[in-house]
Amino acid sequence: MAEINLSFSVNDQKMEVSTEPTRTLLSVLRDDLKLKGAKEACGQGDCGACVVLLDGEAVNSCLVLAVQAEGSQVITVEGLASKGQLHPLQQNFIENWAFQCGYCTAGMLISSYALLMDNPNPNPEEIRAAIAGNLCRCTGYHEIIEAVGKTAADLQQPVLTSES
Amino acid sequence: MNKPDYLAPQTLAEALDALGKHPHGVQLIAGGTDLVPQMRSKMVQPELLVDLRLLGLEGIEMTGDGIRIGARATHTDILESDLLAEHCPALVESAADIAGPPIRNRGTVGGNLVNASPAADLAPPLLVYDAQAVLASSRGERSVPLEEFFTGPGGTVLSDDEILTEVYIPPVAPNSSSKFIKLGKRKAMAVAVVSVAARLTLDDSGSISQARVALGSVAPIPMRALKAEAVLEGHPPSAELFAEAGRVASSESSPIDDIRASGEYRQKMVAVLTRRALAAAWGRLGGEV
Repeated sequence: MAEINLSFSVNDQKMEVSTEPTRTLLSVLRDDLKLKGAKEACGQGDCGACVVLLDGEAVNSCLVLAVQAEGSQVITVEGLASKGQLHPLQQNFIENWAFQCGYCTAGMLISSYALLMDNPNPNPEEIRAAIAGNLCRCTGYHEIIEAVGKTAADLQQPVLTSES
Repeated sequence: MNKPDYLAPQTLAEALDALGKHPHGVQLIAGGTDLVPQMRSKMVQPELLVDLRLLGLEGIEMTGDGIRIGARATHTDILESDLLAEHCPALVESAADIAGPPIRNRGTVGGNLVNASPAADLAPPLLVYDAQAVLASSRGERSVPLEEFFTGPGGTVLSDDEILTEVYIPPVAPNSSSKFIKLGKRKAMAVAVVSVAARLTLDDSGSISQARVALGSVAPIPMRALKAEAVLEGHPPSAELFAEAGRVASSESSPIDDIRASGEYRQKMVAVLTRRALAAAWGRLGGEV
């Protein structure tokens, strides 16, 4: 089979890639576009280390064929920071010790980001449900849930005025 | 993986045409959550991949006489459907119990049924709603009651040239409610050890006019427990009746031992979960046991 030309957006940049139809989105992101944030651990959708946003929804990029992303908008963990500033979720993961080895972190961040887009004020149960598809083997869930909750609270904080 | 050709047809007619021209070696792909790992492990080695992503087939809507769920509706679509929450709560409960959000965002109703796992989470609730699988081919369209759709683990009545386009749920009687319970090793990301769906419809006198009980992971296919249903119909709901229906459902099941549980344990859990699902369905109709 000839390779297929694929055109899609990654982190708001238009990308053109030529790929065999059976390659996964994860493989194209990592090996062709050199975006190494999303990881492959299990390769079958159990662990969530490869989670990215596809048209606004968290998906396992190891289960999506790259050709299925034609015309889509993909956001990877590399797209969270803007203008050199970490996203508040990333900053809170650092400040709350929400990772040790870091292998799950890209997926955890994207699943949490997807949650906060839909639900800006989640309770701990909702945060747990949102990251149910992401495994952390350093047993860091507690800190991750706190970091996401803290981010939600930070983002809801009204901007301080001179009177306050 | 082998290197198949790839096609993303714009219309159902094009997709059916592609199937007709390549009787063997064609593999349809929707969400890919089952298929991509199967291709990577070489369990499935297609010559042509036909991607259904441009065909639509994803709506969930009331039609004059029932509810139509497009085969490409995802588990998340089911979970977020107000229509299904109102009419088919057990189906929404089953979607909520599937894997985790990233899988639910990609996996589809059609894929869950066509993959034909005995543990398919959506199958027991769809069985209790008397759902039909709508199958299209260039020869025409046919509807198959879901209880006749599965033929064995991984097997269905779908022909090589057919596509499952939608699932049709006939009108749900007004005085009717349902419940789905899944027993897994974990709350998320778990294949069912046992799953049970139950639906009760009451007549004006408060007796059960129609009962449906369906079981997952305890037989080669997702199955109706017909004898348990017969035990229930024509009687007023009671704790004793539900317990008896549970015992009968248990005797109808034929689970195997596997890495998740022993057959003996599964069979005992069928009795417990059937009783609980029936009591919960009745609870939703205002009853109490």
